[in-house]
Parts: sequence; structure tokens; C-alpha cells
Amino acid sequence: MLAGGVAAGAFGSILGLGGGLLIVPLLTLGFGLPLREAVGCSLVCVIVTSSASAGVYLQRRQANLRLGMVLELFTAAGAIVGGAIAFLIDERVLAGLFAVLLVYVAVTMLGGLRQQAPAAPATDVETPPPSDTAAAGPGGDREDRGYATERLPLAALGSVGAGVASALLGIGGGLIKVPVMHLVLGVPLRVATATSNLMIGITASASAAVYLVRGGIDAYVTGPTAIGVFVGATLGSRLGHRISVRSLRVLFVAVLLYTAVEMARKALGLG
Amino acid sequence: MDLRVDRSTTDLEPALARLLQAGTYVSIALVGIGTLLLLAAGISPLAGGPPLDVGEIPADIAAGRPEGFLWLGILGICATPSLRLVGALIGFWRRGEQRMVAVALLILVVVAAGVVVGLLAG
Repeated sequence: MLAGGVAAGAFGSILGLGGGLLIVPLLTLGFGLPLREAVGCSLVCVIVTSSASAGVYLQRRQANLRLGMVLELFTAAGAIVGGAIAFLIDERVLAGLFAVLLVYVAVTMLGGLRQQAPAAPATDVETPPPSDTAAAGPGGDREDRGYATERLPLAALGSVGAGVASALLGIGGGLIKVPVMHLVLGVPLRVATATSNLMIGITASASAAVYLVRGGIDAYVTGPTAIGVFVGATLGSRLGHRISVRSLRVLFVAVLLYTAVEMARKALGLG
Repeated sequence: MDLRVDRSTTDLEPALARLLQAGTYVSIALVGIGTLLLLAAGISPLAGGPPLDVGEIPADIAAGRPEGFLWLGILGICATPSLRLVGALIGFWRRGEQRMVAVALLILVVVAAGVVVGLLAG
């Protein structure tokens, strides 16, 4: 479990994905844990990686605190709704939703591979590589921050959706938050990624509160997994620049697709 | 509301960053101690941990039981983002930015509502 957490944290950190995408399948398919319990554990791990990386982003002044806080209000509300729904939905439906999410991420990553994009897709909690520090500079890209705030209601709606998805599936929700900020509000991608990281902590803690009170978090499972993810994410952020990200992404897409098939089997009652 | 960052928040961000990092490191250290105690006691993580009982945490820690450290660490992890919000609330209050203070307060209310929703749904 500890080793699985390290692998999930390192993979997620190097590829710019949060651990949630990997922890839930690891715990359900690998250790036979009920899906809801895996989601509860994943939410705690997501908060760990989000808080650690958001601290770095705030220090670099890459994250937009004001925008993040305004949208947090809506993601947190969505997370509460999602947390309440999660305990009413059949686990097989949740497994099906997770399979769809995995296929979506795999397809997005394949698209990125074709375009040979140098940067990892900003899909979830992203731990910034150390090499980014110098590039960002002391002021980050704060001067670029002119946003289409008149479209804030649309972004708020998207944020509610991100919160619901986060609570249902135990992910950070950056998959939705980053595109919402970037495409709807015109926030630069780098700032959107950093701000999404900041928001993920509150989103996940709002849904984790529901899971905590309802007994959806097992301390024995969560402890070793969270430690593993923390160590893995730290290692990944330090070693990431020495590893060929392209070949790792190809491997990761294969892992995602295999996991999606297994999740789909679980959803159909075949697994 | 102007959502662009201006110079007035520049000293707030590093302070909040330190708060987030300190909260994470302290909480993860507690979880680390709990995990070591769990492994030392030969308990399988899949054995099914005891449910959260906040009142029992001090006694569990005093007795060196893993669940005390694990639960305190997990609660610390979950509380760290809210701690950052409280820090932001104080920072914006000092600057007289009432709208951002209201936003921070509303988020804290929503997070607290999560506990209420959990209790009601349970």
C-alpha cells in the first residue's frame, strides 16, 4: 500500500496529474477496498499533495488568491452536494463514472502526445518541478492577469461541477477547473494550473468532511497511502526532469486504459 | 470585484504559503508516526481501522496507539486548507477588503456545512 502510494504520487507528480486518478483504482482493484472508502482515502491524499504544491505556487506568486477564493466558494458547494450524493449512488455507477473519467484522461494525453506538447497537461493537482522556479521568476506572470470577469457566472457553474466530480470520484477536479479558468475567464494556463491547485485543497476538504462524518475514511488505509503519495510526489518533483516524460506518458496511457477496462468490468458486475 | 492581483496582496501570499506548508508537514509527520506504530504492532492496514472518535484521540496518543496519531494527522491534513482560509480572512480584514472577508467567511460556512450534511445524511 505504501509502495503503491509512492508509485501513484511519483507518477502523478511527473505527469502533472493528481494522485486521485491512481489511488482509487489501486485501492479498489489492487486491495479490494469498497469504492467509497477508496474515494475517502483518495480525498485525503489529494489534500496533502494540493497543500504542499499550492504552498510553492503561492510563494512564487503564480496562483491568483482572489480568483481562487471566489471560485472555491462554488467548488466547495459542489463538493458538499457530491459528497451527499456519493453515499446514495450505487458503487457500480461510481465505477462506471470512474471508467469514463479514465478514458477521457487517456484520450486527452494521447492528443497531447500527438501534438508533442512539451508541458504536461494541467489536469489535476500538479506538483511543480524544481526547475520551474527559475523560469517563473520572483513575480511569476502576474502582469498577464487581465480576466474576463463578466463571464464569472459561467465559471462558477463549472466550478460547482468540478466540486461534484471531486467528491464523487476522489479526484482534485483540476480536469474541469483549469479549462474553466483558462477558456472561460481567459486566465493564462500557468496561473490557472497554480490557482486550481490552491482551490483543490478546499474542494477536497469540503467533501472529506462529509466522508469523515459518515465513516467513509479508514485511518489504517489512509495513513500508509498518504505517506506513500507524499513521498512519491516529493521524489517525482525532484526526479521528474531526469526522466523521459514522453515514454512515461505512453506507459501511463496504457495503464489508464487497462484500469478503465477493469473499472468498466466492475461497473457491469463482471469484475 | 477586481480579481486581478495587486501589490497589496504580495506579503499575504508568502505568509499563506508558509501556513500551508507547516500544516502539511506537521500533519504528515503525525500520520508517519501513526503508520510506523501500525507497522510495528504488526497490524494490517486492511484490518479495518477504528472509527473517528475525537474525544479518544488524546488518550490514544498518550497510550501510543497508532489510531490516535493517524486520526490527528488526518484531521490536520483536512483542516490545513481551512487554516489557509482563516489566514486569508485575517489578511484581507487588515486591508479593509470587506468583500474578500465575506467570501472567506462564506467558504468556511460551506465547509462547516459539509459536517452538518454528513451528520444529517448519516
